[in-house]
Amino acid sequence: MITAFIHKFSSPKSFVVLTAKLYPYFICIGLCLISLGWIWGLLFAPEDAVQGNSYRIIFLHVPSVIYAELIYFFMAVCALMHLVWRVKLAAYLIKSAAPIGAMITFIGLFSGSIWGIPTWGTWWQWDARITSTLILFIMYLGILTLHGSFSNLEKADRLMSILVVIGVINIPIIKKSVDWWSTLHQPASISVSSGSSIDPSMLYPLLISVIGLGFVLISLGILSSRSYIYTREKNKKWVSEYV
Amino acid sequence: MLRLISIESFKLFRKLKSWLGPLLILVLVLVAFPLSIDISQYDLEKFYFSIIVVSLLMTAFVATEGMFEEDFEDGSLEQEFLIEKDFYKLALCKIIVYVLLIGVPIAFIGSIFSFANGVAIGSFPKVFLLLSLSNLLLFNLFAFGNSLSINKGAMLGVLSSLPLALPIIILLGRAIRSVQFGDGFSEMIALMAGVGLIVSALMPLIISAALKTHID
Amino acid sequence: MTLLSAQKISYSINDKKLFHGLSFNVQNGEALHVKGSNGSGKSTLLRILLGITPPSKGKIERSNPDLKISYLGHKNAIKNYLTPAQNLELLFNESELGIALKWLRELDLSSVQEELTSNLSFGQKKKLALIRVLAKPQELIVLDEPFVGLDQDASQILNNFLVNQLSNQVSLIFTSHIHPDVECKVLDLSNNSA
Repeated sequence: MITAFIHKFSSPKSFVVLTAKLYPYFICIGLCLISLGWIWGLLFAPEDAVQGNSYRIIFLHVPSVIYAELIYFFMAVCALMHLVWRVKLAAYLIKSAAPIGAMITFIGLFSGSIWGIPTWGTWWQWDARITSTLILFIMYLGILTLHGSFSNLEKADRLMSILVVIGVINIPIIKKSVDWWSTLHQPASISVSSGSSIDPSMLYPLLISVIGLGFVLISLGILSSRSYIYTREKNKKWVSEYV
Repeated sequence: MLRLISIESFKLFRKLKSWLGPLLILVLVLVAFPLSIDISQYDLEKFYFSIIVVSLLMTAFVATEGMFEEDFEDGSLEQEFLIEKDFYKLALCKIIVYVLLIGVPIAFIGSIFSFANGVAIGSFPKVFLLLSLSNLLLFNLFAFGNSLSINKGAMLGVLSSLPLALPIIILLGRAIRSVQFGDGFSEMIALMAGVGLIVSALMPLIISAALKTHID
Repeated sequence: MTLLSAQKISYSINDKKLFHGLSFNVQNGEALHVKGSNGSGKSTLLRILLGITPPSKGKIERSNPDLKISYLGHKNAIKNYLTPAQNLELLFNESELGIALKWLRELDLSSVQEELTSNLSFGQKKKLALIRVLAKPQELIVLDEPFVGLDQDASQILNNFLVNQLSNQVSLIFTSHIHPDVECKVLDLSNNSA
């Protein structure tokens, strides 16, 4: 029953047809929101009392680290669907989401480093959050390499899904253990300011850029998965009919 | 089970470089490291344990490399599949044999070096137990990494299984401090033994799925 | 009695079809010769029948889920760093080992019994691998190109063995470019490519 339902709505064809209508809206909304958020944040939001203007990088940094993890969880859900119900589309989505995830994680790490120089005086600190983000980045690379190393793509899909699922079980463990480790070694570690203490005049543009980046990433994901679906299904009849 | 264990240990014994190699690498690192630094300047005792932990990680990785590769390449996996219908027992037995024949000796050498470097001799059994348990965990994880990559080389294995191994390293570092300061050791051991049991029971299941995918 | 039946099985790899809609039965004591050009999917078909590779479509039915199968594919499943005798020790328990060693002599391998298998020639390795099939009586024998690399004598021994087994109601499925001296059904994959 449930399998039939999932298969009906998860055929690559219906995905391609549906997203063809949706993604122009997504990309417009995303670009509008993110430019609104960034213009507001970079030009009009007030200067930070302690950090001066350098804090403004949070409008890039915070959204990207949020999505670094969200994308991984999305991939994990897809991996489960692929392993349990053999949904092909799920594997295609993982494969096309992973490079985006790796990219956004890298942006998060990189912007964090840039931010670290004026605020902490160093571009790298073995702090719990940074370390676990770095590990997340390595995991993205591992997933991509694993998929790339098999010529039989269906095997690659399944092995990749296994790795993604094991990885998602491990993420909370890594977070917990890294917290544990870093509090042990540097109890007075610098913590990134938490969201609740932030002033509304900075919070609104931040929220807007988070939502905007979300839409941009979704439309990027749609674009890359559509092209990936075409390459994988190029011998299927519906592709030649549709394109 | 008994059949597989005897087969696997027989095979491993015959492959001299597979089980002696990791032990020699461990000894080499542990001897070479103190020689490479100026002992009068640094307090070696403070961080020698970290060196042991890191070399444990390295040797565990080297030891498990190619764990399934040979059986995959020569077709033994397919024959095994025809007999057992899955690879749960095979993976379980392989991990047990590797831990007993390579992991435990590594832990033994590691603990000898640790008490040669400032740990009281009385805590030798504690350190030995600790290192053996963490080897059990590491071997399970690297066996998983290997089952994913089989013949695709070490880089892929590192990329896919190293992130999984980091929590164990952190746990081990924490446990070793508890030995040095003598508090909370039994809780640490209980935690590691519990995690070790769960992982050893579940990991062969996942490895079995991965191996099945490979021979498809 | 039908030992194994294939119902409309298809197989495709990376969306490229190898064969489709194959249906056939194998009865007890019957031989099936799978023919076809290189790359037509003979080995894959054997692996599907063994249950190693799942077919893309269709299904395989076995009369008995615990069907005892002996199989020899392209990979010999012997260990190069062991001697032939040690290889046999891994494969057989003590009661079966006597028969296995008898086959070792029969196939003219006793002179190299204590050498490392890596020093053996291709044909000798193949003969060693065949002992896995010869010394353990099963209900179904599946062989992928069993005659490649065998000398005249060994081919004759294998042929006699297969004839003997077929008369004992053991079934046989094989691929071969050399037609052996056994009575068999033929399944040709060449006409089947889609």
